[in-house]
Amino acid sequence: MSKVMVLAGYGLNCEEETLHAFEHAGLTGVIRHINDLIENPQELNDVQILAVPGGFSYGDDTGSGNAFAQKMKLALWDHLKRFVERDTLTIGICNGCQILTNLGLAPPTGHDYGERLVAVTYNLTARYQCRWIDLKVEPNNSPWLAGVRSLHVPVAHGEGRFMMEPGTLKTLQKNNQVALTYVKPDGQPANGEFPFNPNGSTVDIAGITDPTGRVLAVMPHPERGMFTWQRDDYDRLKDKAQRNGQKLPLESDGMALFRNAAAYFEISKKKTA
Amino acid sequence: MPYRIEVLAHNEDGRGLQIQKALQTMGKKTTVRVVDVYTSANPKAKSPEFIGSLANPVVQKAGIAPPTTLDVDFDWALEIGFLPGVTDNIGHTASELLTLIGADNDNECYSSRLYLIKGNIKKEDVEALAGEISNKLIQRISIKDQKSFKKDGGMEAVLPKVVLDNKGAVADDVNLNAADSELEKIGKDGIQNPDGSRRGPLGLSLLYLKAIQDHFKSEGRAPKDIELETLAQTWSEHCKHTIFASPIDEIKDGLYRHYIKRATKEIREKRGERDFCVSVFSDNAGGIIFDDNYLITDKVETHNSPSALDPFGGAITGIVGVNRDCMGFGQGAKPVINRYGFCFADPRTSPELYRNSSKTEKILPPANIMNGVVRGVESGGNCSGIPTPQGFAYFDDRFVGKPLVFVGTIGLIPRTINGKPSHEKKALPGDKIVVAGGRVGRDGIHGATFSSVALDEGSPATAVQIGDPITQKKMSDALIKEIRDLGLYNSITDNGAGGMSSSIGEMAGQSGGFHVELERVPLKYPGMAPWEIWISESQERITMAVPEKNTKKLIDFLARRGVEAHVIGTYTDDGRAKVTWHNETIMDLSMDFLHDGLPETPLKTTFTVGGSKEPDLKEPNYGASLKEMLGRLNICSKEFIATQYDHNVQGTAVLGPMQGPGRVYAEATITKPVLTSPRGVVLSQGLFPRYSDIDTYHMATNSLDMAVRNVVAAGVDFNHLALLDNFCWCSSDEPERLGQLKRAVQAIYDLAVLYGTPFISGKDSMFNDFKGFDANGKPVKISAPPTLLVSSIGVIPDVEGSISIVPKEIGDLVYLLGETKDELGGSEYYDSNKQLGQNVPKVDGEANRKLYAFYGRAVRDRLIASAIAVNHGGLGIALAKIAIAGQMGLDIDLSHINLRTDKALYSESAGRIVVTVAPQNKKAFEKCFGSLAHYIGSVAYGEKLNIKNILKEDIKALEEAYKAPLRDY
Repeated sequence: MSKVMVLAGYGLNCEEETLHAFEHAGLTGVIRHINDLIENPQELNDVQILAVPGGFSYGDDTGSGNAFAQKMKLALWDHLKRFVERDTLTIGICNGCQILTNLGLAPPTGHDYGERLVAVTYNLTARYQCRWIDLKVEPNNSPWLAGVRSLHVPVAHGEGRFMMEPGTLKTLQKNNQVALTYVKPDGQPANGEFPFNPNGSTVDIAGITDPTGRVLAVMPHPERGMFTWQRDDYDRLKDKAQRNGQKLPLESDGMALFRNAAAYFEISKKKTA
Repeated sequence: MPYRIEVLAHNEDGRGLQIQKALQTMGKKTTVRVVDVYTSANPKAKSPEFIGSLANPVVQKAGIAPPTTLDVDFDWALEIGFLPGVTDNIGHTASELLTLIGADNDNECYSSRLYLIKGNIKKEDVEALAGEISNKLIQRISIKDQKSFKKDGGMEAVLPKVVLDNKGAVADDVNLNAADSELEKIGKDGIQNPDGSRRGPLGLSLLYLKAIQDHFKSEGRAPKDIELETLAQTWSEHCKHTIFASPIDEIKDGLYRHYIKRATKEIREKRGERDFCVSVFSDNAGGIIFDDNYLITDKVETHNSPSALDPFGGAITGIVGVNRDCMGFGQGAKPVINRYGFCFADPRTSPELYRNSSKTEKILPPANIMNGVVRGVESGGNCSGIPTPQGFAYFDDRFVGKPLVFVGTIGLIPRTINGKPSHEKKALPGDKIVVAGGRVGRDGIHGATFSSVALDEGSPATAVQIGDPITQKKMSDALIKEIRDLGLYNSITDNGAGGMSSSIGEMAGQSGGFHVELERVPLKYPGMAPWEIWISESQERITMAVPEKNTKKLIDFLARRGVEAHVIGTYTDDGRAKVTWHNETIMDLSMDFLHDGLPETPLKTTFTVGGSKEPDLKEPNYGASLKEMLGRLNICSKEFIATQYDHNVQGTAVLGPMQGPGRVYAEATITKPVLTSPRGVVLSQGLFPRYSDIDTYHMATNSLDMAVRNVVAAGVDFNHLALLDNFCWCSSDEPERLGQLKRAVQAIYDLAVLYGTPFISGKDSMFNDFKGFDANGKPVKISAPPTLLVSSIGVIPDVEGSISIVPKEIGDLVYLLGETKDELGGSEYYDSNKQLGQNVPKVDGEANRKLYAFYGRAVRDRLIASAIAVNHGGLGIALAKIAIAGQMGLDIDLSHINLRTDKALYSESAGRIVVTVAPQNKKAFEKCFGSLAHYIGSVAYGEKLNIKNILKEDIKALEEAYKAPLRDY
């Protein structure tokens, strides 16, 4: 059985619903406080999926995700590097995305993890934004996004603006590492327009991967859009289903990522078998 | 020599762009660069590791100063940093980074922010900008032009360290054998220091001081300063609620017992087996049954006075403070929802009012108060990972000197923990007193006594605190998610107003006494006097009663989570409240005197109905008037608040604050706190402060009806619905104000008992008055209108039954439930015509109860497609909101209402809900409601709100009117 580890502590705060998402998809997992992992880093050897959930680690002080990433880098770097180099999956959501980019786990453009190549920084509005947005899944290598074409999920962040050198952007695009972009509800590119692109992110980037696609760093929250009742249009979907005598599906877009994670390991298990 | 690490952000930094925007509104075209500055004296601070840990090289450039390495073209440099002793959360995180890379001992690091401004502006403009974006009560400002910046090698490295005179650290005797005039001075301005200065308000009346004088006479000694300060905290209006407890006119048992507590008692008795209350009024929050496995708790607090002085600090302290009330419920509940409510003056005005007669202390402009308060709750709620979906903002210019800041937290706790009811707790004699969380500083001294008086010239700046949500989050996670279920403590409570003097004093009531060794309390900096340590309201602290054998395990566990905790004393059963300081006894009071020694103060009241003659208004152009009404501050969209507040963290949001494709700010929200349970928690609130100008009885009943009706409309089970009361009164030493209070409390007793909706928790703030000076230096007093906020919390058995305000399909039928009467006294419409009127809405409780019961049946049978309660602004506003939310036309006919058109549109009669119904449910719906439902039209093709013979308006135009006023805040 594949094991999920969801990190917690120092202001991370989405660990419970994130674990719930994995469990709903049939995986088993634990919530692990970062201090406990630092005390016993070997535990990563038994883990197949590492999730750094959303939150406000260190209150976003010194830049969102920065201080938590510094802590991980100083205490856990070798273990982390070994973990992502194995055939494992890693996801960073929102604050977790900011932590992964600060760690340089997403996105190295070559195969060397550890260098910060992108920044996820202050929204253009300099304001926190909590709202539902639409995402397009771009051509990518990521098992997390297999078969997914679009996502309707919420964002909730004050620092979600991806920025990088033009050269880095080019390479990421060439390598299919820009996995998710903000679009308008009709699927057309947001082109930086608020609120479709809620933070002014470069070329509407909402999520990126490492070259293998196994490490995904994503600002929007799939775990807050995993059930139909969480959706902002739930009231309308529910009404329509009632009128037509239908039953609404329990799951919504965001669950696909967690189901994909489960499927990835079932497939690889079959291979070894 | 301190080091400054200067981190320059890239030139399109969002924060810099916002400063440019602020300058643009002042008419100045500029470019602004942002530099984050970290200052420390530790040698490690200059190490490349530390500097590297503070900057992201992709978008930032770091350098070490002095001298500065900033290579930017600018005209003015503006730096904003904190004053000594003010909570510096960013500095705190930088200190931790410094420790991570190996700094020991003095790792103190302080943050500040430097703005480099390029543009043709004068020093006055920079000063004006600084006034906009900083608060001199807590922050320091330095400004340099480019020339002196270059000459000096940049800005000065400032270490805002607190240095206290250690000589003050003893407990003094206070001579109470003094004339009444001196006693009054002690009460109003505080104990006198040797140099003649005073220590700040005790808020003790002469009557109370005389009782204390008598008590110490009989003890044969003078009280120590710490004893007097403790009595002042414990007997304060804030802690003892003396006005609600005192005999008032013929009501010998006081307003709280006679009306509020009795209402709940009667309702619970009547419900018998169906009683859902579990813990009411006795704990930090009220608790009701959620389902077979869980309780939900609720508490709403106010944090008004601090928010007037430092809006950000006041509000963030308020929200993280009420989170702790949740953690302090029973064995500790997990915070699952926050809510908020703000009362401000018009942010587009800037009245010239001062705190002092020499006009040097100007009050903060309403826009600054609003922005600071909104940001404070944003930071506190978001950083804590608690969704903040439900709230409101209400405007009246009488909130100019003192805003009202309501903050609430809903908690979730298993009904039993380790086989015992989770809401029970008891400190036992011999248990150790353990305080966990932040350290103690001078911040928040006299908060409790200060909030019990009017704001005036002498209001102490030390009462200002800034919450630190991450320190608290670490403690909350450790205690509630990990430690609670280990059963290591016997009792737990929050450290709020009055600090340890209140929390330990109250918890010791469970065991029968305490002994605190005050020197064991960890301090932020040395040199504090014992009395200051004891009553400091430094934030993020929780007090526990822990059996001695468990203390090590508990403290070690917390340490592994980065949380500090210490044993500071023992609970006893000797009936004494005892504090020692390095083995010297500095406080030794009997618990009886401490808690029950305050003399009764019988209150007398008078009451006169207010209001003026019903006005004779000219009929308006209805299209224009509807748009004007939609743009009124009490009606227009508050989306700018809702989108800044994370309302779907924890993954539990069902019905959010912004509803429909047209995004209307809804008054009720639904949350599913247990992901695997179909049940939802439905929240709303109600208030009508302006009705108090006519009659507080109806102000109160309308507030209660609004809070109830909003959640009923959203689909709550009317039989599973509880209420919270927050009275924010003014001048509560005047008989007329007390008369208004008495009527309001009686009113909510009457209506709550009729509805069968019990009160489970409440809080009051009795002196919301501003005493200051006008532009001519003449004294003015501005009293907030007597305000009752009623908050509702109910359970919906399955969120599938939830009902939004959004119309669903063209062709659906529109009905008005309830009666529209000539009731515009105190209404938004009359106010827009600068009239008050007389006919304040009167709640017909009997009729409403029947209607809400029918409504419950209709919800069960899924007959209702959408619903919106009719509140501020009346039916016209409700219809416009429906059309905007759905982006669908409405064809409406209001001819059944036998009133002049403006009254039909804008009457604020209570008990009304507008619903839309699918045509196939018409028969069942009409059968359910009978004559209580008025068919008024249908959801229509087209993009217009069409009210027959009255108006026909484009929805886009209505939407613009509704959204424009506060969009850019």
